[in-house]
Amino acid sequence: MVDVSTFFSITIAGIGLGALYSLVAMGFSLIYKVTGVLNFAQGQLALIGAYGVVIFATPAVLGLNLPAVVAVLATIALGLVLGLVLERVIFRHFIGEPVLSVIIVTLALGGIFSGLLRFLVGPNFRSYPATLKPGWSIELPLGASIGASFTLGVILSLAVVISLMLFFRYTVTGSILRAAAADEQAAMVLGVSIERTIIISWALSIAITAIGGILLAMASGGAGFTIEAVGIIIFAAVVFGGLDSIPGAFLGAIVVGLLQEYGAFYVTDIIGPGAGEILPMIFLLVVILIKPHGLFGTERIERI
Amino acid sequence: MPCGEYFTSYESRMGLFRWRTQRIALVLGLPIPFILPFALHGGLMSTITQIYIFTIAVLGLNVILGYAGEIVLAQGAFMAIGAYTTSQILADGLFGVQIGLLPAMAVGGLLAGFVAVLFGIPSFRVKGFYIAISTLALQFISEWFFNNSQLEWLHGGTQQTMPFEVGLIGQWLTITGTDMELYFMSLVLMLLFAMLSLNLSRSGTGKVFRAIHDNDLSAGVLGINVFRNKLLAFALGGFMVGVAGGLFGYYIGFISPGYFTLDLTLQHYVMLLFGGLGRVWGAMLGVGVVTVLQEFLRGFLQSVASNATSLEPVFFGVIIIVVLAVEPKGVLAALGQIKDYLRKWPFAY
Repeated sequence: MVDVSTFFSITIAGIGLGALYSLVAMGFSLIYKVTGVLNFAQGQLALIGAYGVVIFATPAVLGLNLPAVVAVLATIALGLVLGLVLERVIFRHFIGEPVLSVIIVTLALGGIFSGLLRFLVGPNFRSYPATLKPGWSIELPLGASIGASFTLGVILSLAVVISLMLFFRYTVTGSILRAAAADEQAAMVLGVSIERTIIISWALSIAITAIGGILLAMASGGAGFTIEAVGIIIFAAVVFGGLDSIPGAFLGAIVVGLLQEYGAFYVTDIIGPGAGEILPMIFLLVVILIKPHGLFGTERIERI
Repeated sequence: MPCGEYFTSYESRMGLFRWRTQRIALVLGLPIPFILPFALHGGLMSTITQIYIFTIAVLGLNVILGYAGEIVLAQGAFMAIGAYTTSQILADGLFGVQIGLLPAMAVGGLLAGFVAVLFGIPSFRVKGFYIAISTLALQFISEWFFNNSQLEWLHGGTQQTMPFEVGLIGQWLTITGTDMELYFMSLVLMLLFAMLSLNLSRSGTGKVFRAIHDNDLSAGVLGINVFRNKLLAFALGGFMVGVAGGLFGYYIGFISPGYFTLDLTLQHYVMLLFGGLGRVWGAMLGVGVVTVLQEFLRGFLQSVASNATSLEPVFFGVIIIVVLAVEPKGVLAALGQIKDYLRKWPFAY
């Protein structure tokens, strides 16, 4: 039953999908690392990225008809601005509040975003403009091939993970963010503006997530509300990699992408459609039970 | 506390109704819900019935979240488990024996409690948001599970119709599911579970839950078995939410996975946080206010535009964020502060 060339092409598809997930997952762990906010609205933020292109590039919603590249850039800019606004309006009030409040706020934000999008563009699938539906693919040995959006996803996610690691290690802003992440109060005493670090990390995170959303939409030819589910699936990735580790999120996302593709191909016959999405969830539960701090996560020791 | 009344014993301090005002309010207020159905028309009564049912579910959430402080995001999943189990037992009986509506709901609640305990096991090692993540995974899995027609042998069909004519216990006390019967059944069950939660919060178990909520490390140092008590909270809360799910299923008479989504979880959080976390009266107030608000909002939005109903979660999201930013303890605490201010007025203290 296990055919080598099929297995290989499924593996390639899994890595491609994982690379797309990894962008969203890295956006998640960036926020968690710096601000300690567990963002349950990540799927909806990816959704904003996916539908941002629809809003800017097709005349259906705002009457705009921008070229595709401009629309993508505008969407990423929208993500940056959204990060700024969110910090100003909401997250500034929740610095130092209990975990419960912050979690509920992000859940509520998710509801707000998806409700607004449903109102603006309607609940239906929206096809992307033709320039954003590239048909080319790269042929690999053993008869496998990798599609355009997956290729872009792999390249972009590698670029993002490397540049984020360099950013955190070698730039002044990066070390400020690390300082704020390690000890908020000590960083404040040393003159770090916590508000500014929060703004930077939210803007960066949402921009990365929006890119992930756009690529996920490109992979299926257009934006649909199914992308929302990515917000839950990436939990498997980030918990496995360690919640506050960006390389961990990358690696975890690849693993989850592989699991999803294997599940969709090999397990669907046994437990029915949707097995691809369920396998990462079961994996997540196993990880939480066995190794809750993940591969690279820091285990914080509590004192009374 | 009114002037001139003092506690003279611990028993009176721990009483359910501590002050004369409260006792008078009880005597005057308790008959109202029993008289209400004879004065109201069908639609409003149905809304109030729904308020009672959701109150049970939110009280269950309150036991886990408000008392024990574990963030559970699987209200929809627990209610779905309760509803589908109840429906299956009503249709096929438990091992071939028709056991009636109330025992069926109890079995549904037990199953939901069991699943809650199962997904609470990670709390052995981790706390806080890990439970939130694992229960969110449960919500996701349950939506997939009940939508999956290939697993019909297990859940008995994606969409099910509940029989209206059932015996309450076994074959006896047959009811036919009229508005009046539903109303009184929900009311009695709600009062029962409200009493249960009130008494739970006064008992040793409730105090242990609160100790774990405040600081689980110090609770452990004081000799409390943190893990076991967390699981107990999961079991109790899950049971209540499951029973509410069964009752909700019987109330609408038709269950489908669309009723038990993450939106339902969010809705219950709005209700509980609006009223006040960890307070039984807060949960009741929150469910009542939010449900009524929702009815109005739905009508209003439908009159504005046909696709405006998708804005409903936006309003609730805004409400929840504002409540958390302004008064995280809920409306009941805010009312308490106003009362305190008025009592001392015109002095500052």
